[in-house]
Amino acid sequence: MKLKFKASFAALGAMAVILTGCSTATPASTTDTSDGGITIGVSFEHLNEIRSAELAGIKDAAKKNGDKVVFVSADDDAQKQASQIQDLIQTQKVDALIVIAFNKDQITSSIALAKANNVPFLTIDRATTDQENISFQITGDPVADGKLVAEQMIAADKDLKVLQLIGGLTDQNAVGRRDGFVAGLKGQTAVSIVADVPTDWDPTKALDGTSNALEKNPDINAIYVPSDYLLPSVLSALDAAGKLKPVGDPDHVFIVTIDGDPVGCQALADKTIDADIATLVGDFGTQAVEAARALSAGETVDPHIVEIAGLAINQGNFSDEKANVWGCADVK
Amino acid sequence: MSKIARSRSIGSATWRAVSSQPLIPAGLVLIALFGVIEPNFASGSNALNIATQASVLLIAATAMTFVILTAGIDLSVGAMIFLAGALVTSTWLQSLPPALALVLVALCCAVLGGLNGLGVAVVGVPAMIVTLATLQIFRGLGGHITGQRSVIVDDDLRFMGRGDVAGIPLPFVVAIAVILFGTFVLRRTVFGRFVQAIGSNQPAAMNAGLPVKRVLIGVYAFAGLLVGIAAMVQVGRLGAVQPTLGSGFELTVITAVVLGGTSLTGGRGSVIGTMIGALILAIVENGLVLIGASAYIFDIVRGAVLLSALLLSGIPQQLLRRLRADSSSTPQSART
Repeated sequence: MKLKFKASFAALGAMAVILTGCSTATPASTTDTSDGGITIGVSFEHLNEIRSAELAGIKDAAKKNGDKVVFVSADDDAQKQASQIQDLIQTQKVDALIVIAFNKDQITSSIALAKANNVPFLTIDRATTDQENISFQITGDPVADGKLVAEQMIAADKDLKVLQLIGGLTDQNAVGRRDGFVAGLKGQTAVSIVADVPTDWDPTKALDGTSNALEKNPDINAIYVPSDYLLPSVLSALDAAGKLKPVGDPDHVFIVTIDGDPVGCQALADKTIDADIATLVGDFGTQAVEAARALSAGETVDPHIVEIAGLAINQGNFSDEKANVWGCADVK
Repeated sequence: MSKIARSRSIGSATWRAVSSQPLIPAGLVLIALFGVIEPNFASGSNALNIATQASVLLIAATAMTFVILTAGIDLSVGAMIFLAGALVTSTWLQSLPPALALVLVALCCAVLGGLNGLGVAVVGVPAMIVTLATLQIFRGLGGHITGQRSVIVDDDLRFMGRGDVAGIPLPFVVAIAVILFGTFVLRRTVFGRFVQAIGSNQPAAMNAGLPVKRVLIGVYAFAGLLVGIAAMVQVGRLGAVQPTLGSGFELTVITAVVLGGTSLTGGRGSVIGTMIGALILAIVENGLVLIGASAYIFDIVRGAVLLSALLLSGIPQQLLRRLRADSSSTPQSART
């Protein structure tokens, strides 16, 4: 029996070593130390492509000022995020917090804790329900982004029957992007939404939903993808339906997406999609760190709520604008 | 045979089929309902669409049927799919011939499943706890490998999720092969009988001298292998491995198995029942989009349909029990 136990644990250990050896990633919890400056606690709800870019923006801005960044990721767990923030405030004694909340309501208790300890609480990318007690907030403008998508489709100057994918119906970014798109189409008749598919930001639901919508409406000739995250699924669905044609082909399905991540940028470069509304995540980090320094020095920041609309990149301006987009850096 | 006798015989056979798979009428009602509201729903191309979309669930649910039949559970299914997808994108595997790479990943999943089995059978930790722990480990390893980025999968490695065999989508062909193999193993092999015996009464199975630990490890390893195959199909279909791949999928898989009549306490269930449960879930998802259901009522309709399907599937069972009770209480003279 002892041998069996030893063999089992040896196998488990070996498997872990082998799998870990496949890694190309950076750890999800890190501390960047620099001499002087302030200590900024950064708490994200999870770490993915866009969050990594946002974290890099914060670290770059902090490095310039000699600030120290302590980063934690909550793995999409509101309780874990609350505990991590408590640790940052009470144990690590950070001078300011930059947070992306997993849950915009449940983060309220962490905001109150920060306020009680006189630690400036800054949020980026996602707004919180409590707008009174946060020190600074910088987010994208989902409604404006949705309107920019509508502008890109209207500018195509042809009749478009649009499949609109929707992110999560409880996610303010998803709802804002949808509402902005619908508002942007008002007053014109060339572009019309013929199908809505909720995805919960799940790539599988996006794939199946797109396939189902194409089955019901074979005349769909445009798709609004609310995030580059769902783009591979949409392209796979079009490919399976025999409708994945490059820009310029008479049967090309017009596609506009949001984020400007490497997947979207590559699709633009490959002439697979028509436009991408790039979120200016670099600005989030720069402005948040500047605000954190000011607030921790006792100054006020005005306005304390900032929204930045995305940058529309399309086949016409891609080569000029790609240098300004976070996800296009490595695109050839 | 007279016409009356023949019609009684056909009726009896139909009744037996319905009573053994009570979800069939519920599925037929759903198909009729969606078909009436949206004529496109009943088209051949949409049937293939549903078949393709159900494939991954069918394969993973077949795996879960074996696990649940032993009175166990595997919460690591979704995370294992993510880890398998991550492994597919790793540089080392991409340098191998595609078929070999996919076989290696599937075998790797079998080993990981076997480790789940070791935890359950040898260490004696409840399956829920073991697989909850490995869920975290697998998802963490997957995230470590991909760097939590969306990674595009090479076309060469996507063949399991694309293409067709004589017009039938390859994912569905794979799913049917897995279902047939699973049914064969469960019904026609000693291993399958051991699985059901262990699920029905594990202490009795041990007392009878059945190799309980080996069978349990084998079940989890077999489930891991099937989940690896499901991952190959899923990654092939999606064309990318994303950080949320497979997230929460285990709950859909368990729903399909339970909907298909497999008892969560083990010992009772079938792969065919699971297949019907999985197909009903796929039909609901497809039908809701085709009838243009509001995005806001998707979850409500989905839940209501599932509840209705379960209630409808209970009616034939109740009728059968009542008929049996009536016939056993009827005097012998009245029956002759």
